[in-house]
Amino acid sequence: MAYKRQFYPGSTIPAKNRRRYVDPSVKLDKLRELAMEDVVKILGHRQPGEEYKSIHPPLEEGTEPDCPIRQIVEPIPGAKAGDRIRYVQFTDSVYYAPIIPYVRAWMNVSRFRGVDTGTLSGRQIIEMRERDLEKVAKELIENETFDPARTGIRGATVHGHACRLDENGLMFDAWQRYRWNAKKGEVEYVKDQVAIPLDKPISVGKPLPESELRKRTTMFRADGVDMRDDKEVMSVNLRIHRLRTMAGFQPFAVKGV
Amino acid sequence: MMPKTSSSEAVPLPEIMILPSRLLSAKTTEKLLNKINKVKHVRNVTVSGESLPAKVSWGPGKGLDVDHPERKVIEVAGKKTELRVQVGRVFVEIDDIDHVKKALKDIEKLCEEVLPFGFDMEVGRYSKYKPTVSDYKSGVKVI
Repeated sequence: MAYKRQFYPGSTIPAKNRRRYVDPSVKLDKLRELAMEDVVKILGHRQPGEEYKSIHPPLEEGTEPDCPIRQIVEPIPGAKAGDRIRYVQFTDSVYYAPIIPYVRAWMNVSRFRGVDTGTLSGRQIIEMRERDLEKVAKELIENETFDPARTGIRGATVHGHACRLDENGLMFDAWQRYRWNAKKGEVEYVKDQVAIPLDKPISVGKPLPESELRKRTTMFRADGVDMRDDKEVMSVNLRIHRLRTMAGFQPFAVKGV
Repeated sequence: MMPKTSSSEAVPLPEIMILPSRLLSAKTTEKLLNKINKVKHVRNVTVSGESLPAKVSWGPGKGLDVDHPERKVIEVAGKKTELRVQVGRVFVEIDDIDHVKKALKDIEKLCEEVLPFGFDMEVGRYSKYKPTVSDYKSGVKVI
């Protein structure tokens, strides 16, 4: 099929960033380094070094029924081993967090295999086999889609994405999973994603300055880049809206739009 | 702070709403409220904000202490109060509509000093000033 995959229309900064985040051929900037052990602690699903629990025997034991789809699709390592499905959830502040939940969903399904995402207004959950989830979570915390002050790793009680920032510039968290270390100028996690205290704080580094966040944003805002200023984005959105309104789930039935 | 008079007002008194650009720390809240308390014609001050629970309410950590650094006892006008919200709005009731202009000026001045990150101010009436039917039904008594 002569079809070149497209990711997102538009020429404004948020549109370009959306395209960059969603396109799997683009290597995202790595802004910080976290030990895998620390990622495992923040996720809170198992102790570092503990064996992965399994929910079915390894696939190589050959107990699965014969199936053409199984022959076509290469299983991810966690599926091969029979790992449990675990989750990580990110909350993104409306105050120029680098990415927004909906774009997270596009990015996740575009970049990762074996991932199930759920998107809400302020948060985005990823469900995956445990060992694969840990790798993905590490990548997402280390790369440019994460900002220590405006992105939160929160399994529950995620409220805060639409709240004003606190005096240190941190997104509100009623369970106070992370805190501002004024001496180091860094944000550190003191609890895991469901607010169980960690044995020692885990630093996730310095927050990005406002000017840098505005360069990396995927957010169209009236006080930043208004979506109406991007003609191509608007025309594509209106086209989708028109097709859905006129033809429901049969957009191909409408000619000339 | 408690009202300086105990009678309920027949006419709604004006309120000045302070909307800081950031959620306030307990220290800043304490400082701001003590300064507002010294402004003339202030009758009552109410704060609202994001709730800070004492305990983790659900999940595997249910029942654990949250220990939020902004949930603490503050001292306002010599009285100790446990702050259970991270303050986002402050409502200052003024004792008469004729005093609003002067109070607004004084409050703006002190806010510029205490809230360096910026704030907005509005005049209006943001809380109820007489019992509602629901209050009557739930047995709330008029003071």
